[in-house]
Amino acid sequence: MTPHIRFHQVTVRYGSNVVVRDLSLEIPEKQIFAIIGPNNSGKTTLLKCTNRTIDFVPSARVTGEVFVGGEDVFHVPDVYALRRRIGMVFPLPVGLPLSVYENVAYAPRRAGIHDPAELDRIVEDCLRRAMLWEEVEDRLDLLGTRLSGGQQQRLTLARALSLNPEILCLDEFSIAIDPVTTMKIEDILREMKSRTTIVLVTNLVQQARRLSDYTAFLSDSQLIEVGPTEQVFTRPAQRLTERFVNGEFG
Amino acid sequence: MTREPKTRHASVAYHLAPGPNVRPADGAALPPQGYSTLEEALQAAGCYRVEAPDAPHEAEHRAASHLDIVCVPSGEPPAEASRWRRPRHERSVYNQAAGSGGEGTELLPWWSVPFAVEELGRLDKAGDLPLAPGERLRLTYREMFAPSALEMRKRTKETAARYVLMVVAWGLVAPVLVILAYLVYKAWPVLGPSFLLQNPHDFMRSGGIWAPLAGTFCLVLLSLLVAAPVGVLAGVYLNEYARDNWFTRIVNLAVMNLAGVPSIVHALFGVGAFVLFAHMGRSLLAASCTVAVMTLPVIITSTREALASVPKAFREACWNLGASRWQTIRTIVLPNSISGILTGVILQVSRAAGETAPILFTGAVFFTPIADTGLASWFPYTLQRPFMALSMHLFTLLTQVRGVSDEIQYGTAVVLIALVLVVNSLSIGLRVVLRSRKRW
Amino acid sequence: MLDAAEPAVEAIIRLCGLSAILFVFAIFFFVAREALPMLHGKLDLVEFFTSQEWRPTSEVHPQYGILALLVGTLSVTGLAMFLAVPLGLGAAVYISEFCTGRLKETLKVLIELLAAIPSVVWGFVGYMVIGPVIIHTTGAPVGVNLLNGGIILALMSVPIIVSVGEDSLKAVPDAYREAALALGASRWEIVYRVLFPAARNGLLAAVLLGVGRAIGETMAVLMATGHAVQIPHSLFDPIRTLTATIAAELGEVVAGDDHYRVLFVIGLVLFGVTFLVNLVADLIVKGIRGDKGA
Repeated sequence: MTPHIRFHQVTVRYGSNVVVRDLSLEIPEKQIFAIIGPNNSGKTTLLKCTNRTIDFVPSARVTGEVFVGGEDVFHVPDVYALRRRIGMVFPLPVGLPLSVYENVAYAPRRAGIHDPAELDRIVEDCLRRAMLWEEVEDRLDLLGTRLSGGQQQRLTLARALSLNPEILCLDEFSIAIDPVTTMKIEDILREMKSRTTIVLVTNLVQQARRLSDYTAFLSDSQLIEVGPTEQVFTRPAQRLTERFVNGEFG
Repeated sequence: MTREPKTRHASVAYHLAPGPNVRPADGAALPPQGYSTLEEALQAAGCYRVEAPDAPHEAEHRAASHLDIVCVPSGEPPAEASRWRRPRHERSVYNQAAGSGGEGTELLPWWSVPFAVEELGRLDKAGDLPLAPGERLRLTYREMFAPSALEMRKRTKETAARYVLMVVAWGLVAPVLVILAYLVYKAWPVLGPSFLLQNPHDFMRSGGIWAPLAGTFCLVLLSLLVAAPVGVLAGVYLNEYARDNWFTRIVNLAVMNLAGVPSIVHALFGVGAFVLFAHMGRSLLAASCTVAVMTLPVIITSTREALASVPKAFREACWNLGASRWQTIRTIVLPNSISGILTGVILQVSRAAGETAPILFTGAVFFTPIADTGLASWFPYTLQRPFMALSMHLFTLLTQVRGVSDEIQYGTAVVLIALVLVVNSLSIGLRVVLRSRKRW
Repeated sequence: MLDAAEPAVEAIIRLCGLSAILFVFAIFFFVAREALPMLHGKLDLVEFFTSQEWRPTSEVHPQYGILALLVGTLSVTGLAMFLAVPLGLGAAVYISEFCTGRLKETLKVLIELLAAIPSVVWGFVGYMVIGPVIIHTTGAPVGVNLLNGGIILALMSVPIIVSVGEDSLKAVPDAYREAALALGASRWEIVYRVLFPAARNGLLAAVLLGVGRAIGETMAVLMATGHAVQIPHSLFDPIRTLTATIAAELGEVVAGDDHYRVLFVIGLVLFGVTFLVNLVADLIVKGIRGDKGA
């Protein structure tokens, strides 16, 4: 299986601080791939490298290569097109100060889609997939920032899905929302994985175990172990991994 | 070495003088002749209790609930406690303490009455409680959160500070309000629409102020036309594009210093750069450019602050959706900060209207012939010629024209102030309206 | 699709970002340009700064000593600060710590409106109102003098001291106040034992900005301090400041002659002084940011 995302000897520094150290990792297509590890182990930074939002961190220096679909992301002709292929969900729910409709229509509009019928279709489709449609279908002009936390997180998911990305990255998506919404989103992810590669960064080892097919364990800026989830959790090769998945630290 | 216990002097008696809230627990009466020793008086004192207050605000009074033991010569009745004569010995007991110990002081009272009596007895035996006739020992009952003397002093200081500062703050504002009222009063006969819309006549000694008023409008409009776009975009650059390096620090420093340049130096700059170097001559254009440079830094700063008030999370969300920096600014950041930007720009309107020095030598003149009637009187000035302005008009009326009536001088001043204050109030009002319409 | 014009827009934005630096340099350049011919040998700088004789219009022997003008500027600024600093800081403390709700908003708005009053109006007030009051109450021969200018400048500088001072008091974290309250401090004690030390830099910067404003003020002092080029010996002596000198005489000179150029030299002096004052104030404020980190 050709990897969808490949990190090759990637080192990332914020100023003089090494955040990711000589990391090489392959993420296969159309699976749920979990990246677990204690705080400050570089997980979020990896995500930022995939869609090059690391560019917005002024002190960041990256060496090594990151390939998405075979292309070196640091040498793509159009970085915005790259970002449109990768959907991103953050830890804190963010509703843009626009109507719910415009929230979901934001990325398509920037990508040049202006036909109202097409936008209507995209908005409804994404809100349905994010399991938010029922709650907002008659209030599409409501300001996105006025939704509840769980709704805003699903709105973020809907936005991330609006351009049919081939990769969906979620960075600790559940830490600020209620368990019911978390369960809903986990169901969505399970349903999506047959069409989309999903990268799930999480601190919650049980969530990784529930959802993912593969798991990578990062600690202290380095990749410690990677493999099928079952194996990483039940027969980990590294002592550190075993301690982490058993909750001894982190 | 034990001191001779003075409290066993035969010719004195010790009387208990309870405070208004203090009663003996079992309703016993006070012996009229008092007690012959302090020890006995203390024993009797142990039976007293403080009554529960009727209402919560009684707590303050309870803090002053006390039990005195007065020493008087035998046979004499105890005198009323003088307000000003402090007791010789003063101790505190906590009315409902849980706990133990204490030192009998205000900050660490004895925890109960029996304990207090015990301690007082011990002190008496050690000779530490001498009482001469006329002196008293006071045992004060303290409520849990009642203020101590230290706290009462602090409170007084704080109240004093509050009132002094209040006087200071209002003392700044009130005289100015008085002066403004006086100006309006002196200008009253002249104020009215004709004053505003008529041109001055007779070497400015009569008539209205339309010409300078129109000039000020033109000046403000032109200078803001130049300053606002440049200033807003510069603010966008500083908040959205500039990295945190030495160059940005220099730019910020330059903005700060531009803001601090004296207005007369702006005038010199205007003369050197626009009037002479750019060959604009003394004209509306030269003056507008000078005023534009003067108002630029504040527009930059207020734009930057307005942009910074938009949370970073919004920008990051947009970037992750594939929007470019400018697209994000155009669609999310600017629309949500436009109100703050407007506030800053409007503030500069009033400044541009009120400043005199920068236009004195770059284009404003006291008199230039303009049409009195017709369309031309509504748009009286061209870019390349000098113009009249309200601030300059006031200045010249006051310092160089003889025989102008007081009312016209005061009237001009009042119109200028009113113009400035109205514009500023608009800006402040806008700010208040925005705060209530927060979109996140 | 990317906005087609985007690179052009970004270029314009960057250009505008440079505008501030451009204009600061431009101001310095164009003022110096007019001043330079005089500075190159013709003007004796020692005499310039140390002589009281300001006789630029003398046909026989023009003299350009600005000492009296310097002293005029410094004395009126000093007097103004003497009045404005305690009043301004006191008002800032009152608004920030002892005031709440509507009263606070009202006072803040009033102080802001005070700041908006144009300097020519202040000069008018000084000349027409304060002047006669001074004459009436103290029997001084003229109402436009050092005292008048000092009062007016103080009233003009107070708003900036109040607003910057209030901002820096507001910037002290509430945690400090709460900790002090928990230890039993009264509000006043919190102010002078906790807030003043903590906000020391910001308050100092506020004062410096007030000083900068006072030094640079032109119209108000022109109208309120009289026209005497002399070193004041009492509060009731009329004086003239550097700024007022330029304003009063620039209209009478011929472009290009010595007098004209010396006025630009004075402009350079003013530019330099206010530049320095603002630089120091900025460094002090940066000092706070540096201490507190990002």
